[in-house]
Amino acid sequence: MTEKDRELLLDLLTRQATEGLSPEESRRLAALEGSDDDSFDLAAAAVMMAELEPARPLPAHLRAKIAADALDVVNPNAESFRREKSVDDIPPKRTPLLAWLGWAVATAAIVALGLNIAMTRFGVPEIAKNPPSATPTPMTPTQAHDEMMAEPGMTVAKWEPAAKTGEMAEVAGDVVWSDKQQKGYVKLSGLPKNDPNASTYQLWIFEENQGDKTPIDGGTFNISSNGEVVIPIDAKLAAKNPSMFAVTVERPGGVVVSKREKVAALAKVETSRPPDA
Amino acid sequence: MAEPILKRIAAGDKNAVEDCLNAYGGLVYSIARKLMSNEADAEDAVQEAFIDIWKNAARYDEGVASEATFIAMIARRRVIDKMRSIGRRIATDPIEEMVSEPGSTDHKFIEISAEAKEAAEALKSLRPEQQKVLQLSIVGGMSHQEIAETTGIPLGTVKTHARRGLLRVREVLGLGGMTDFEPKEAAI
Repeated sequence: MTEKDRELLLDLLTRQATEGLSPEESRRLAALEGSDDDSFDLAAAAVMMAELEPARPLPAHLRAKIAADALDVVNPNAESFRREKSVDDIPPKRTPLLAWLGWAVATAAIVALGLNIAMTRFGVPEIAKNPPSATPTPMTPTQAHDEMMAEPGMTVAKWEPAAKTGEMAEVAGDVVWSDKQQKGYVKLSGLPKNDPNASTYQLWIFEENQGDKTPIDGGTFNISSNGEVVIPIDAKLAAKNPSMFAVTVERPGGVVVSKREKVAALAKVETSRPPDA
Repeated sequence: MAEPILKRIAAGDKNAVEDCLNAYGGLVYSIARKLMSNEADAEDAVQEAFIDIWKNAARYDEGVASEATFIAMIARRRVIDKMRSIGRRIATDPIEEMVSEPGSTDHKFIEISAEAKEAAEALKSLRPEQQKVLQLSIVGGMSHQEIAETTGIPLGTVKTHARRGLLRVREVLGLGGMTDFEPKEAAI
């Protein structure tokens, strides 16, 4: 490297780190040996952090957008989740966690469902500071579901179709949830198969922490075959004392804010159970 | 020691994205809001910055810098690009408020980045005018030209202060880089 190039490199790296470069300057820098030296930018970043005021929290709606973006970039196996497969093949707590990290404060437009429920809107709750940790288990979701159903103190509810007519009128099954374990399973039958390229099913949890207007995202799933399926609940936030669960039909990958244009099933917790010990 | 979040992201671990947002979302947002006065622009920049972070996660080398510093670097680059593309922000902070005693307030990010703490110490060791130029450019988001016009310091001197100050910080942080740039004292 000539002394002239070295001086130019030093000048451009300094300016890149302190005030940025024009496109032309960036091209000049890229042409120089050593242009990929991050040390100036790292030093500037450290200075910035040393001087920055205490953190502003990331707004929930922005966080949700970022999380949605990440689906396309971070997950090299995204297609594996979206492709048709038996949901029973999905190991517990392995369902993708990302699509929706929160709910934006939602609009009030609601599709008239004729249901006397509190689903007025879906919103974005604060992200739990201590999200539930995954507990690997060799059991299949069906086995884990059955085991939880046999345990005392579980929150249990039965699925009912959101509409009495139509292709989802035969939806049935149950849901079991443990506040203490922060896990649960959904057993469903009667849901029509979906084309993962066109839509996905999404689970929501109405519970005490976030209130009825801000249900917690419970994850997405696809139905690839007729019959009964068991799906591990993938709660994005800590759920407490759920009062109702809902399944909606959303676009592939799930949504952050549901328009609730198509509700497939609801499961109301009829009685308040004592906390599981 | 836990695996770095960025390594997990590079491996396609989607859970790591949530962890990254929990750990560094506030940092990236704070950087954008500090440098950009328009909230919508700042949010766009944050969104784009995180796409850059996901894409560059595999480049992270924990032997070079902390995750926070690496992420802050990517965020600053994106925010600065955004500022240039839409026109630099109109500085809203009085210049006196942009220049302060390094580490004089309760800076949360010092706790999550060893380099931030070292950088604060490095800033203190700089000559006052070097310190001022770095604070105005890096933290205040001012261009060298704006600093010259605002402070009355000749543009060439501003550039020299920026260069020497940054070289010093870089040296204190042990960020050798690929090219040897020894700080050379010279009369200004």
